[in-house]
Amino acid sequence: MKKYFLLIPCLAFLIVFFIIPIVGMFVDSVYQPEKGWVAQKYLDFFRQRLSRTVYFRSLWMSLLVTLVALLIGYPTAMAVVRVKNDSLRSLLMTLLVFPLMTNPVARTFSWLAVLGREGLINNLLLSLRVLDSPVRLLYTRGAVFIGLLQLFLPLMIISLTSALENLPKDVPLAARSLGANSFKLFTKIYLPLTSEGIVTGSTLVFTGCITAYVTPAVLGGSRVLMLSTLLYQKASVTLDWTMATVIAMIMFLSTLGVNFISRAFSTIGVRRWRRASG
Amino acid sequence: MTVALFVALSIMLGPFLIIFFASFEPSSTLRFPPTGFTLDWFRKVMGMSMFQKSLVLSLRIALMASLLSLLLGVPAAYALSRYSFKGKRTIEIIVTSPLIIPGMVAGLALLRFFVLMQVFPIETTLLIGHTAVVLPYAVRSVLSSLVNLPVAIEEAAQSLGAHPLRCFFLVVLPNIKVGIISAFIMAFITSFNNVPISLFLSGPGVNTLPIVMMTYMEYYYNPSIAALSTLLIGLTLAIVLVAQKLLGVSKLV
Amino acid sequence: MAFLELVNLTVAYGKNPPVLKGLNLSVEKGEFVSLLGPSGCGKTTTLRIIAGFLKPIEGRVILNGKDHTNVPPHKRNIGVVFQNYALFPHMDVFENVAFGLRMRKISKAQIEKKVKRALDMVGLSGFENRFPSELSGGQQQRVAIARAIVIEPDLLLMDEPLSNLDANLRAEMRGEIKQLQQNLKITTVYVTHDQSEAIAMSNRIVVMRDGRIEQIGTAQDIFLNPRTSFVASFMGFQWLTSGAVESIEGNFVRVSCGEKVLTARATSEAKIKDRVSLFARPKKMRIVQEEMSNSFEVKLVSVLYQGETSLFIFKLGEKQLSVELDSSVELSGKSKLFVHVPAEDLLAVKEER
Repeated sequence: MKKYFLLIPCLAFLIVFFIIPIVGMFVDSVYQPEKGWVAQKYLDFFRQRLSRTVYFRSLWMSLLVTLVALLIGYPTAMAVVRVKNDSLRSLLMTLLVFPLMTNPVARTFSWLAVLGREGLINNLLLSLRVLDSPVRLLYTRGAVFIGLLQLFLPLMIISLTSALENLPKDVPLAARSLGANSFKLFTKIYLPLTSEGIVTGSTLVFTGCITAYVTPAVLGGSRVLMLSTLLYQKASVTLDWTMATVIAMIMFLSTLGVNFISRAFSTIGVRRWRRASG
Repeated sequence: MTVALFVALSIMLGPFLIIFFASFEPSSTLRFPPTGFTLDWFRKVMGMSMFQKSLVLSLRIALMASLLSLLLGVPAAYALSRYSFKGKRTIEIIVTSPLIIPGMVAGLALLRFFVLMQVFPIETTLLIGHTAVVLPYAVRSVLSSLVNLPVAIEEAAQSLGAHPLRCFFLVVLPNIKVGIISAFIMAFITSFNNVPISLFLSGPGVNTLPIVMMTYMEYYYNPSIAALSTLLIGLTLAIVLVAQKLLGVSKLV
Repeated sequence: MAFLELVNLTVAYGKNPPVLKGLNLSVEKGEFVSLLGPSGCGKTTTLRIIAGFLKPIEGRVILNGKDHTNVPPHKRNIGVVFQNYALFPHMDVFENVAFGLRMRKISKAQIEKKVKRALDMVGLSGFENRFPSELSGGQQQRVAIARAIVIEPDLLLMDEPLSNLDANLRAEMRGEIKQLQQNLKITTVYVTHDQSEAIAMSNRIVVMRDGRIEQIGTAQDIFLNPRTSFVASFMGFQWLTSGAVESIEGNFVRVSCGEKVLTARATSEAKIKDRVSLFARPKKMRIVQEEMSNSFEVKLVSVLYQGETSLFIFKLGEKQLSVELDSSVELSGKSKLFVHVPAEDLLAVKEER
């Protein structure tokens, strides 16, 4: 069939070079011909205190970044959408999109100049005589947090902006004319109608945080290990392939889980919206 | 809301400004505010062969991965936009899978399957990984311009005697130019910036620029990376501005 | 054999009910045939099969004596004019019109000549270097027509070509298309949902419903003698009542409806005891103050002023009835009113079983 013919190169490429290795790696992490079932490696991961701590730290950090990104992102997106001047709005959009396209190493490195021993904050606090000697800001959870926030805030804002732009302009006006105050307008109109954007943005940010490598590596180092840096350590430093694979798989399954949960959420939202609009 | 916008912009963009100024720092530690002004770090970083080599590799991989992804992605996007068939949902999942599967997972899998088993050399594997990762961007971008192109235009061309293949080159391709260019730009930037895939797929002589930068940062704490970052950020800014001028920013994301 | 023969065309998608159910149609050379019906009746599907964009799961398309069912569209030599014009946005008017000729490997000089003549015909000389985005809807449609006729197609297909134009332009284009078709003697199949458009332009009209042909006939035939309730309503008749045929006198039948007996003109052969529906057109009814033959008692509900005439909305039993009368007529809602339909204008349409 002509239809499938056009798809074959792309599908063959992805299946052979991408999906099979990943599935193969997964199978290998569960069952090995010479050793039999090795699935207890997954249990080992959660039995070891270090890896357990790292895992929950990663989840917690991702959650925190997602929430803060949402809190900053929603009003930002509303501000962007409200800008009437077209060229100003497109400039704002460019500024928001731009960080996504810059090299993540360069982006993260910027924080070294802010948080380093002789970075902006230490110099500022020293010159204000708040501090007598520089404090360590790098290789802390705070550093990783702020780095991740910078990295993923644009994703949240873009998701929310497009959700807000899709919202029919006269719906909020209609709600106002029917007597909704600002609070009601937000909770009864904006939130439900942009729920899909919220879910999409949150999913992107959350999964992005779980899997990000550069930021925890540069700003957290081995002091604040995250799932991704632990994975790299196991693979490259200790050459423990099995454990590295297990961590990779746990990372993958976690993002998959988040995707599933969010899909369930967003389909609820969509269904509600469809029902409302008949 | 304006406050939030300001906060968001300063979190996202502030560090860029700081890195920009920090790259002119004359002393050999990274500091802000800088204590003077020098262009030495720019000169130095551009003269270092490790950066030069890795830059060339990164550009080569990004170029080839983008072209390859278009070669694979354009026909696929065409089929997805024009036909309905069984298993379409599954195919869409396969095509978008590189977006869902974490890059480090894919990188590790490719390393174990192709490099360690000596199926392909590292550089080939790197190209494979990058192509797979940028493919969804290529497909998505081309798909969205195809969806906006009415099928009737193709039917018109065919009814006037154009063979479907000729119709594609004479009528479809010129009208999805914007989608293809933005697909290329997105794919190129994504590949050029990629770390998680390249992280595991590096070896003697095969190190992409971001990986070399990371390695360098572990040992040296001087403004050279700041200078390099400034250069890269400036380059990206130029690409984004040109792209925006040509296509409009909405087309890129 | 006719110039274009559609034999037993059937189209279905998946498990859904078929879109076309064994459609048969012949079109003679030089004829202008309209496929008329509401959306979803299968008219566009039929057109797409003729053009080759769609393959029927059953049936054949025979053009000029040759089976075209499996011929791909680019080898059919059929001109198509689309609803949204489907001009090539990246080519100027000249290149749009020349496209089909270039595909046919015609010499440059010939192309220039033919394109010029085609643009002349549609009144767009001098627009050669404009791009579609710089043209009005009407101009775009003219380019689309020029592009379709310049290849001298065996058959011209038009899919609701006027539906995107405003009312005045639509009326103007109707005349132009009809004239062009007659001058070129080009066999044309025209799809529309607008009955007045079909009536104004066609030699024959094919009224379609649910993938089947309801009635085929000349414009007069369809307009004056709708043979099914569907065609009658679609052509603007209003249903008044139903009853059973009591007696037959030539073209006329006497129909008993409850206690009333009405005289009506049968649009198809009727037998005694057949169930028939009675229809009349808003313009063909009169208002009288006293009950008489072929009359119904009605109650005035409202009046819609239309200029020269007004639409008087009445209540007839449970349903609404509109009657178009001269605007000078004055009626009072209080007095007893009756609608009278002359037997000639009261149609008895056989009810489907």
